[in-house]
Amino acid sequence: MNRVLRSQFVKTIFIRLLSSLLTLFLLVSFLFFIIRLSPGDPTDKYVSAKLGSELSERIAEKFSLNQPVADQYFAFVSNIFKGDLGVSYNYRLSVFEVIWEYFSFTLIFASISFIIQISLSILLAIRVVRKQNKRIEQISTNLSLFVYSIPAFVLGVTLIYIFSVHLNLLPISGLKSLDHDELSFFPRIFDQLYHLILPLITLSVGGVALFYKYIKESMDEIKNHTFVANLRATGLDENLILRKHILPNAIRPLISVAGVELGIILGGTLITEVIFSLPGMGRLAIDSILSRDYPLVIGCVFTAGTVMIFANFLADLAKLKIDKRMIKGILN
Amino acid sequence: MKSRLKIIHWIIFLWLLVVIFRFDLIIDYLSLILSYISLLFTDTFSAFAVLRFSFVDGSLSTLLFLLIIPMTLYFRKKLRFITGKLNFSFAFLVSLIFVFLFAPIISNENPEFSKNLSVTKLLPPLSSVKQIELKSDKGQKLSEVETFRVNSESIIKPPFNNNIMFADSVVISDQVVYYQKNEAYEVERDLLINKAGIPVIEEKFYLLGTDEFGRDLFSRLIYGTRISITVGLGAVVLSFIIGIILGFIAGYRGGLFDILLNRFTEMFLAFPVIYLIVLILALFGSSILSIIIVLGISGWMSLFKIVKSEVLSIKQKDFFSTAELVGLNKLQLLSREILPVILAPVLVNLVFLFSNVVLAEAALSYLGLGTGNTYPSWGSMISSGQEYITKAWWLIAFPGLGLILTLYTFNSSGRMLGKVFNPRIK
Repeated sequence: MNRVLRSQFVKTIFIRLLSSLLTLFLLVSFLFFIIRLSPGDPTDKYVSAKLGSELSERIAEKFSLNQPVADQYFAFVSNIFKGDLGVSYNYRLSVFEVIWEYFSFTLIFASISFIIQISLSILLAIRVVRKQNKRIEQISTNLSLFVYSIPAFVLGVTLIYIFSVHLNLLPISGLKSLDHDELSFFPRIFDQLYHLILPLITLSVGGVALFYKYIKESMDEIKNHTFVANLRATGLDENLILRKHILPNAIRPLISVAGVELGIILGGTLITEVIFSLPGMGRLAIDSILSRDYPLVIGCVFTAGTVMIFANFLADLAKLKIDKRMIKGILN
Repeated sequence: MKSRLKIIHWIIFLWLLVVIFRFDLIIDYLSLILSYISLLFTDTFSAFAVLRFSFVDGSLSTLLFLLIIPMTLYFRKKLRFITGKLNFSFAFLVSLIFVFLFAPIISNENPEFSKNLSVTKLLPPLSSVKQIELKSDKGQKLSEVETFRVNSESIIKPPFNNNIMFADSVVISDQVVYYQKNEAYEVERDLLINKAGIPVIEEKFYLLGTDEFGRDLFSRLIYGTRISITVGLGAVVLSFIIGIILGFIAGYRGGLFDILLNRFTEMFLAFPVIYLIVLILALFGSSILSIIIVLGISGWMSLFKIVKSEVLSIKQKDFFSTAELVGLNKLQLLSREILPVILAPVLVNLVFLFSNVVLAEAALSYLGLGTGNTYPSWGSMISSGQEYITKAWWLIAFPGLGLILTLYTFNSSGRMLGKVFNPRIK
C-alpha cells in the first residue's frame, strides 16, 4: 500500500469515527429531549401531590430540575459519556451493572444466531444454484418469501405448541432446568443449549430466508458475468467456480448491509426473549418499561444504540479490508 | 397453470358470499337507515343525539357494499388492476380490503361481547351453544326516537346486553329450564321472546370458536384486521409525507440540514427501532393515534434516502432546470416534476413499509404496548392465546395465520410491483 493511499485510509477512518461519535451524540440528545417532552413531572413519581408543594420543590431542587434546560442537558450528556447511567429503581443497583449482566446473554445468543443464519443461508443458496433446476429455484424463492413473512412471535408460539406442548420434547421457556445448580460444568452448558434450541430456531429462520434471498439474487447476477464464462472456458470444475469465484463476490453486498442486519437481529432477540422468557436485554427493556423503571429503560436504549453504532463502524472497517474500492462509499 | 380467473371474478364471488350469509343483516341495516332518515325529518335534534359511531360505520359500509359491484363494473376499463389475473396474493389482498371496508356486515357479533363465561369460554371452532333472549320491556308505546334506538340495538350488536343468555341445553316445560355446566336455572316462559306461544331458542354458532372471555373469535379477527390496516395506512401516509418533504429539501438544498438529516437517518436505520418505539410508547402512553404517529415517524428513513438520491439526479436534468427557469415554486416542482418520476420506486417502498408497519403493530401488541387493551388486535390475541396454549390452539392459529398471510401478500405484491416497474430484477 503506498503512502498516499494509506493517508487517505487513515483520514477516512478518522472521519468515519467522528461521524459515529456524532451519531452517538445525536442519540443521547434525542433521548434527553424525548424524556423532557414526555408528560408528567419526574417529581410526581416520588412525591404524592397531597404532601404539599414544599416537598416536591425540594425534590426538584435535588434533581436540579429548576436549573435551566441547557444546564440539565449538559449534565445529562456528560453523565452518560462518563458511563454514569443512574440507579435502577427495581434492582437498586447501578444501571450499568444490571445491563451488563443481561447484555452478555443477548450478545452470545445473537452471535450464535447470526452464525447459524449466515452459514445456513450460504449452504442453501449453493445447493439450489448447483441444482440448476428452474422449478426448484422458483419454489425456493417463493418459500423464502413466505418464511420471511412469518413473524417471530407466531413462529415461536407455534414451535412451543408443537415441540413442547404436543411432543413434550423441549422446554417451554427459561434458560435453566430446575436442577441446573447441581450440575457440573459441561452438563450445565448442555442444559442451557437444550433450552436455547427453540429460541435459536425462532430467531434464525427469518434471517435465513432473508440472507438466502440476498445471496441467491447476487449469485444469479454474478453467474452471468463474463469472467465466469471465461473460467468455464478454461475447463475449471463447476463446483470450484461456484465456491471460489461466485460465492465470495456474492457475499459482498451482504457485508455492506451488515449494520442493518445486526439491527434486525438485535430487534429480533427482543421479541424472542419475551416469547421464551430468556434473561436478555430485550426482556429487561420491556420489563423495565412496564414497571416504569426509567433509568433502566434509557440505559437499555442507549446500550442497544451504542452497540449498533459500534458494530456499523466495525462493519465498515471490514468492508474496507475486503474491498479497497469501497473507500468512497463509506463516507456517505 | 392457465386460469382465466380475473380479480373482478373474485370480487364478485366475495360479494355473493357475503350476500348469501348476511342477507338479513343487510336488509335490517337498510331499513334502519330509512328509519333514521325519516327521523331526521321529524325530529332533527334527537336524531343527532342518537347518532353513534357504530351506526354511521355500519350504514356507510352497507351503502358502500351495495355500490361496490356497480362501481367495479364501471371502473373496469380504467383500473387495469381489477381485470388482472388472479393469484393467491391478489385474492387475499382483495379479501383484506373487503374485510376492512365491510367489517360490520361480515361479522354479526360485537367483538367485545362476552356473557355466561362458564358456557362460552374457550369453545373450539365450529361449535355452537343455545341462546335464549329475554323480552326487553317495551310494552308501552314508544316514541319514534326510542323505537329507532331499540331497533338499532337489536341490529348493531352492543358490547353489553343483559337480555341474552347462553346455555348448554334448554328444556321447555311449564317453565324454561336451562343448564349452564350442570347447573340448572329456571325462567318464566312469559319473560322470553315468544313466537306463537313457544319460546324462541336460537343456536349461537361460533365459526372460529371463542377466546378465554367467551368472545367470538371470528368477529375479533375481522375487527383486528381493521385495526391493523388502519394503523398501517396511517403510518405509511405519515412516513410518505415526511420522507418526501425531507428528501426533497435535503436533495434540493443540501447544506447543513442535509448532513444532520443524514446522521439522523443513519442512526435510525442502524438502530433496532423497536427499542425506540417501545421507549416512546412507554413515555407517552399508547393509543391507536400514538402508535400511528410513532410508527410513521420511525419509517420514513428508507423513503428519505430514495427520494434524496432521485432528487439529486433529477436536479441535473434539463427538464427540471427548464421548469425552474419558468418559475414554478417549490411545491409545483415537487408535485409536477419530481413526484411522477420517482413514483415507481416510492410505491414499491411504500408497500414494503406497509408490511413492516403491520408487523410492528402486531409485535407491539404482542409485547403489551399496542392497542390491544381497547381494540382487538392480532398481536394481543396471540399473546393472550399463549397463556391457553395447552387448551386452545385456535386462539393462536387463526390470528397467526391471518398475520402471516397478510405479510406474505404485501411482501409478494411489493415484489411483483417492483418487477413491473423494473423488469431487470428477476
